[in-house]
Amino acid sequence: MEPTSTPGPPGKLVVAHPDRRAQRTLQRLVGATLCPVEIVADQAALIAAVDRETIAIVDAGLAHATPGLREWPARAWIAVPGEGLAPADAAIVDALLAAGWGHVVAHPMPILAEELLATVQKLRRREVFGLEKYIAWGAETRSYTLGDARERDDAVTTLARDVIGVGLPDRVGSLVSVIADELLANALYLAPLDEHKQRYRASEARERRRPLHGRDVVTVRWATDARYLAVEVRDRWGTLEPARVAGRLISGKTASSSEGGLGLALAYACCNQFVIDLEPDVMTEVIALLDVRYKPTELCRSASFHTFVVDTPGET
Amino acid sequence: MTTLRIGRLDVQLSGARAVLAGRLDDMVQLGELATRLPPGDVAIDTAGVTFVNSIGMREWVRLLRALRERGAVTLEAVSDVLMVQMNLLAEFHGGAVRIASFHAVYLCPGCGREATPLVDAVVHAAVLHQMRAPPMPCPECGKAMELADFPERYLGVFAPRA
Repeated sequence: MEPTSTPGPPGKLVVAHPDRRAQRTLQRLVGATLCPVEIVADQAALIAAVDRETIAIVDAGLAHATPGLREWPARAWIAVPGEGLAPADAAIVDALLAAGWGHVVAHPMPILAEELLATVQKLRRREVFGLEKYIAWGAETRSYTLGDARERDDAVTTLARDVIGVGLPDRVGSLVSVIADELLANALYLAPLDEHKQRYRASEARERRRPLHGRDVVTVRWATDARYLAVEVRDRWGTLEPARVAGRLISGKTASSSEGGLGLALAYACCNQFVIDLEPDVMTEVIALLDVRYKPTELCRSASFHTFVVDTPGET
Repeated sequence: MTTLRIGRLDVQLSGARAVLAGRLDDMVQLGELATRLPPGDVAIDTAGVTFVNSIGMREWVRLLRALRERGAVTLEAVSDVLMVQMNLLAEFHGGAVRIASFHAVYLCPGCGREATPLVDAVVHAAVLHQMRAPPMPCPECGKAMELADFPERYLGVFAPRA
């Protein structure tokens, strides 16, 4: 009897992990995509198995020990936790971000399963936008569209109030306030470019009224399914530079001052998974996910990071 | 005592002591506060600070730099949100600022209650230097509460410089 499922996109998945149990777990996880999965245990076998259509899922320790691995032509490189699939070492996550990795999964099961499957399917199907990919079906999504740049504070206050209103703790409300504030500020003041590619609103007075029309429209959405709280902010400029963002996310930890560029780093520091979805010159969407099931200490101290770019061959 | 409002931050000044309450955000410019405080050692209480974003943090850093050039700065009852953000910046690590007390999110393993008790950083200096949080009593059931987050998020400012 022939199966009735429609064939998926071309390509294969390669899992590279030295631990046999982790190999089995990862094979099961990504096997849910019904995409062919090849398992390897070391760097040489990994490089031999990877081609331009491959999504490579690599033990973070192996990734860290192999500088330049992500430069190898592939559809995408995804680093996952190492020994026993326990939470990744925060220092290794930071090092991979500094090295420009576009996909770093930091957390153990079951978050690993949820995050990895969503990541692989977003890459395979090239469907990148929307917080719905991270939230269980049935959870309602609430949306706010800013009519004026000065409505940022109201949006943040309303969001925090609504989040606490559904029963999430004050600590989560406080974190989500900072995340939404920084992402909205980024969308309102850093996303717009003039004809000289200058971020001409970067120094604009924040108390100034500015009606938002056309490309200046900014939306914020959120949803929770009692596993995650997801906050999504979209602008219609698509000017964020993902290749430069990863390194900047950890800048606050090493910088001797806070003289600028800390907004996204602060939002990253407040969440458990930070996702950038980009269609260049069309839309930037940033999704911050907070896990609301576990104590922070049961997860990795650094957040996972993912960047997805629409229609860019060889996307990282 | 003098009362000021800087952006959305309320400031009470009494001699060399300032008490801050409200938001450290885009609207705050703390240069005025630096000029209002007398030269020499100062103390700042931030228990009432409820929100800090990256621009507010930049102003806070500039204020502390300016005050430290004139004398010692002691921070009292540092609010939870400010404490977390100060720990993100290497500038504040390793005892670079004197913190007399601070608030942190604690979780009770017995009843699940979350609270932000005030931790006396002088009394508990020895354990804080070891990046360990002292247990605090749960306000609901009385059991010992534990720090709800990674020690690095709150206590990096106390660790000795490497």
